[in-house]
Amino acid sequence: MAKPRVAIFDFTGCEGCELSQLNFEDQLLDILAQVDIVEWREAMDDKADEYDIAFVEGALSTPDCIKRIHDIRRRTKVLVALGACAVDGGVNAIKNLHPIEEVRATVYGQDQYLFPTLPALPLSAVVKVDYNVRGCPMTQAEFLRVFTSLVMGKQFEEPDLAVCVECKLNENECVYERGMICLGPVTRAGCNSHCTNFGQYCIGCRGLVSEPNLKGMNEVLTSHGLAVDEAWKRLQLYNAYRLQGVRA
Amino acid sequence: MAQYFLEQARVADFVAHLLASNTVYAPHRKGSRSYAFAKADDPAAVVLDYPRTLSSVKKFFLPPREVLLNFDLTLDAASVPPVEPGNAVFLGVHSYDLAAVRRLDFNFTTGNPERNYLARRDGARFIGVSYVPDKFHFAGSVGIDPYDMTGCDMFLTKHADGWIVDIPTGEGSELAAGFKLEAHDEPKPPRAHFTQHVFVPQARLGKVMEASYDHPVWNETADACLGCGTCNLVCPTCYCFNVQENVDIACTSGQRERSWDGCMLRGFTEVAGGEFFREKVAARQRHRVYRKFKYISDVTGQPWCVGCGRCTASCTAKISIVEIVNRLIRDSERDESILT
Amino acid sequence: MEQQIQQFGAGPRELYLPEMAVITEVRRLTELETLYTVELPGGRDLGHKPGQFVEVSLYGIGEAPFSISSSPTRRGSFELGIRRVGMLTDVLAGYAPGRKIGIRGPFGNGIDVSKFTGKDVLIIAGGIGLVPMRSLINYVLDRRDEFGRLIICYGSRSDSELLFPDELAAWEKDPRTEYHVTVDRGTEAWTGRTGVITTLLPGLALDLPNTVACICGPPVMYRFVVMALRGRGLPDQNVYMSLERRMKCGVGKCGHCQINNTYVCQDGPVYNLPDIAKLREAL
Repeated sequence: MAKPRVAIFDFTGCEGCELSQLNFEDQLLDILAQVDIVEWREAMDDKADEYDIAFVEGALSTPDCIKRIHDIRRRTKVLVALGACAVDGGVNAIKNLHPIEEVRATVYGQDQYLFPTLPALPLSAVVKVDYNVRGCPMTQAEFLRVFTSLVMGKQFEEPDLAVCVECKLNENECVYERGMICLGPVTRAGCNSHCTNFGQYCIGCRGLVSEPNLKGMNEVLTSHGLAVDEAWKRLQLYNAYRLQGVRA
Repeated sequence: MAQYFLEQARVADFVAHLLASNTVYAPHRKGSRSYAFAKADDPAAVVLDYPRTLSSVKKFFLPPREVLLNFDLTLDAASVPPVEPGNAVFLGVHSYDLAAVRRLDFNFTTGNPERNYLARRDGARFIGVSYVPDKFHFAGSVGIDPYDMTGCDMFLTKHADGWIVDIPTGEGSELAAGFKLEAHDEPKPPRAHFTQHVFVPQARLGKVMEASYDHPVWNETADACLGCGTCNLVCPTCYCFNVQENVDIACTSGQRERSWDGCMLRGFTEVAGGEFFREKVAARQRHRVYRKFKYISDVTGQPWCVGCGRCTASCTAKISIVEIVNRLIRDSERDESILT
Repeated sequence: MEQQIQQFGAGPRELYLPEMAVITEVRRLTELETLYTVELPGGRDLGHKPGQFVEVSLYGIGEAPFSISSSPTRRGSFELGIRRVGMLTDVLAGYAPGRKIGIRGPFGNGIDVSKFTGKDVLIIAGGIGLVPMRSLINYVLDRRDEFGRLIICYGSRSDSELLFPDELAAWEKDPRTEYHVTVDRGTEAWTGRTGVITTLLPGLALDLPNTVACICGPPVMYRFVVMALRGRGLPDQNVYMSLERRMKCGVGKCGHCQINNTYVCQDGPVYNLPDIAKLREAL
């Protein structure tokens, strides 16, 4: 069987997810042994016309992005969104909370007319996305799960559990017990509760679970004497796109 | 039965004595104000006076994650990994957690006995300790006394500046052999009172639950519930698990792994094709409470809740199983009095 | 409970280790459904009852429950009729004869056929509900004299989705089998009956106390069929049904298949109606 042809692309983002692909030091050779990477700007010069799998990082935030993602979708059999920006719009979507002309003027000043900009969109708002690798940067273990699934020819089933599940499996003390805001109860697991394992709170980088009880979350914050406003700002860090029109 | 006394100052010596010839698991501090069972290493780090641990000793018999099969994809073959043998001493176990272990024993030995559980459970010896109920414990309401030493090989009851020691079994005598304990003949101090109570015995609770299937409490609880599954995962009698397939990066081998699951989680009843059989949070809450007070209880006559208070103490939304059950009791009794 | 503890350390059988079996034949039934013939090592019989299921393992992919479609009267191998509905079945659809799969089971109670002896057997199957019912149908056909009438009511979404067309044709011709079929929406070629499965029931001549009914189909079907059978005056204790839930471990441990107080993998999947009529989550 021919090796799958893989291409890697980036849109608006920090390229941290691509960097974490290069950081698979122990597994990189095993990964490369199973695929042919035919296009990857961050690591090579070649370009290809067609691919079996496209890994795409970053959010869509300019008219040119929209054209390019349609082009990638036409050329690839499978499209995988890599990281919070590609999956949920990520940090970029914070700008959607403000009028777009105001954003443009603030960022580009008098040169604003040289830089057309759009409210930030996740890839799935424009094209069909087959699989998500969530997280900021993307969760490496999840990338490997998606990767092995693709090689094995099976669908990857995305977890739809709260981070609390993994946090309990790891027997961590609840962050709320320490009087801090934690977004774990409404955030999608799959990171093995990485941050709370190290004593941090969850910042929600993997996006919301499919049916978050946000009203209930507000009650939780209030009953713990925590600031609902502050928590919502943190929720919007990665979920501004999904929460458009939803109020605290 | 003879009683002895262990001064608090000598507890570390006693732990060191146990460690000399045993693997010992005991409560340790965890995080800023929590406790967890861990392998004892430093005798001075063991804490006997604690309200409750994050997880119960269940985690040693049914680990949070466990490989069920190793498979080789090039040969299409699988093998069962060896289960590390039990034979450990569990020091500092509260009576409700031991009651929970007896319930797990029932689940894993009836029907199809499970080798993984049995091998880990084999040779376990328990040294119980008394505790002072806090604002979440309600074990007394489900018939489990803080001084209950059922299943214990030794039992330590808090008294003054130390612990009154009971040694009800031969295994307990073996554990104590070679460690000098003073005889003690004063009676045990009176038990501290529970502040949380469920107001009817199990015999009537089945009927209460039966009358409460459509009670508004399920929907009201669902409004507050975040559906995170914490209540299931911290419960010492919950034993449901999920199974998933892990494939190594070279795609030539892998493991079938099980991990704790919970009936409060949305995907718990999902079947291929996308049908959910208990989709609403309200129905899941009802199922959780019925699993503790009705379904298995109807068969065994015992509540499957041991009153440890973990689900309530750990719930970020502060959903209290005691409040739910007491409300059902109150309303079903009121309905009954209207009928009669 | 105390006595149970004596069993610790004993070596009960491995609950989770599959036995490797070989797919010997693959028969495409429709666009979505495929019938796999599976042989255990040495051609050993699976030893199942109609209505039981097995857990099928594809290492690296996963494990899922499937009802057994062949009758235990057909020896040497067994058959699984499988619809493509997800990850594992998609991969399985690419399997050819000679491929190995892992099998655990048979699991579940299955149908206690002795209760059907001498009775008229009414089978009501909707969609892939025919897959497990085919095991019972062939059992009755193979031991025809032990039973009374065999009445098969089969409903499908469309005539293009009818399973086992050769066997359906044979049942239609067999003078000792009363076969009725309806489709929700027929193609242009369809000349048979159109309508939901319950429309087949009012017209049946039934010898009521002597008839047992066995139902299997999609979740929405049960309540309506039960209403229709009650409408015909069939007593509840004569009605059996096979239910689907998420039978993950198959051995009564993992908790996923629980309906109120019953574990489908242990007490089911075949239930007598009076036993589950009171269970609110069942139908």
